[in-house]
Amino acid sequence: FVLCFHHKMSLGLLTLRALRGAPGLCRRTPAATGGLRAASSAAPRDKRAVITESTEEYKFVERLIPPTRIPDPPKHVGAAPSGWTPPAESPPPLPYMIRRSRMHNIPVYSDLTHGNRRMTLVRKVEGDIWALEKDVREYLRQVTGKELPTQVNEVTMTLKVKGHFEQELKDWLASKGF
Amino acid sequence: MAGSSLDVLQNLPRITLANLRPEPGARKNEKRRGRGQHGGNRSGRGHKGERQRGTRPRLGFEGGQTPFYLRIPKYGFNEGHSRRPQYQPLTLKRLQYLIDLGRVDPSQPIDLTQLVNARGVTIQPLKRDYGVQLVDEGSDIFAAKINIEVQRATEGAIAAIERNGGIITNSFYDPISLGILIKPVPFFMRGQPIPKRMLPGEDMVPYYMSAENRGYLADPEEIQQARRALAQKYGYVLPDISKDELCHMLAMRKDVRQIFFGLSPGWVVNMPEKKILKPTDEKLLQYYSS
Repeated sequence: FVLCFHHKMSLGLLTLRALRGAPGLCRRTPAATGGLRAASSAAPRDKRAVITESTEEYKFVERLIPPTRIPDPPKHVGAAPSGWTPPAESPPPLPYMIRRSRMHNIPVYSDLTHGNRRMTLVRKVEGDIWALEKDVREYLRQVTGKELPTQVNEVTMTLKVKGHFEQELKDWLASKGF
Repeated sequence: MAGSSLDVLQNLPRITLANLRPEPGARKNEKRRGRGQHGGNRSGRGHKGERQRGTRPRLGFEGGQTPFYLRIPKYGFNEGHSRRPQYQPLTLKRLQYLIDLGRVDPSQPIDLTQLVNARGVTIQPLKRDYGVQLVDEGSDIFAAKINIEVQRATEGAIAAIERNGGIITNSFYDPISLGILIKPVPFFMRGQPIPKRMLPGEDMVPYYMSAENRGYLADPEEIQQARRALAQKYGYVLPDISKDELCHMLAMRKDVRQIFFGLSPGWVVNMPEKKILKPTDEKLLQYYSS
């Protein structure tokens, strides 16, 4: 505890000196982009200060730069520990195709409007969407035993199903190999 | 049948405002109470009194009795809520998902910068966020050996990471250092030297000095004892890390005053020319290494 307080005391005394010393660094390097320090009218004693440049530690900076593209997932044998399954190497021989989202997930989403209207949405459908609708209806009839209303939007190529069936549909599509 | 409605549309006349009509039964007229022959007379307002005359008192009024919302005394549940530190939760399930999708590299030490670059968590330092906390939902699925540094962690999460042979550390970042840690590139573009990381405040020092929480200020021997005790409590065999080939990477830890791995406070990073400028004045070196 005592050590921590000592740290803070010495900080208070030294910050002033640091503020005066830092502008010298900024002025020495006109190539370094960044904001101009208002306190750069420091005393001529900065002419003594010398800075060393190095490029060896720049690799640590490169690690900090965020990537601009979404990385490809590494190869997994079967399912990953978190439950994510990669798509099959070749698309399944069905009249429709469901692409993966840009984050490599199955595009099935649950929706809730007006606080009580539950829907499940299947996006990114290509090919014969009515065949998919028939298969989904058949599968959900086996799972729930009820005839669920569905809506097909041919313009956006999406399929809406009444009720929350996100997990069931995701597992079913993953088992098909999409 | 695919695209059938679009084919049909191509053969029909042009759609105009005159051709559009909703599906029969889609639009139902709204119910208007109290108008007309059998709803007339009193128009659905009842018989005399405040109900018919529309002079009912405000919501919550109980006829003069002290109402419920005034009977209950005030209590400072939310008092000082804007001065409380918040930690964005990160489940082990999500962490495993990020590792599986290749967004987080388990062969390098995992830092808050790595998590934010992978878009795994979103931290808002301006909303009193002090970092990320590791939550143990998904500890049974978790299977990755990592060296992770968070700001808070539950006991179950610590156990899950150490069971798989990883290392977890809790370290403190003051709000300015946190802002720099989350977005390093805009900070480097500013041209300021990397500041020192401040030590935690009085109330947080016990948390970061205790070995049970794997605090960064705690004694390494105590941490080893705490690891063994936790393994015994949760019933798993503690794997030996010193025999691992990634031992060097797993044992990497930041200095108490360091914000980034490999970069000391006091250095200025020149991104366009890919150079790092280091001070040589002894007073500055003394300040930055204190």
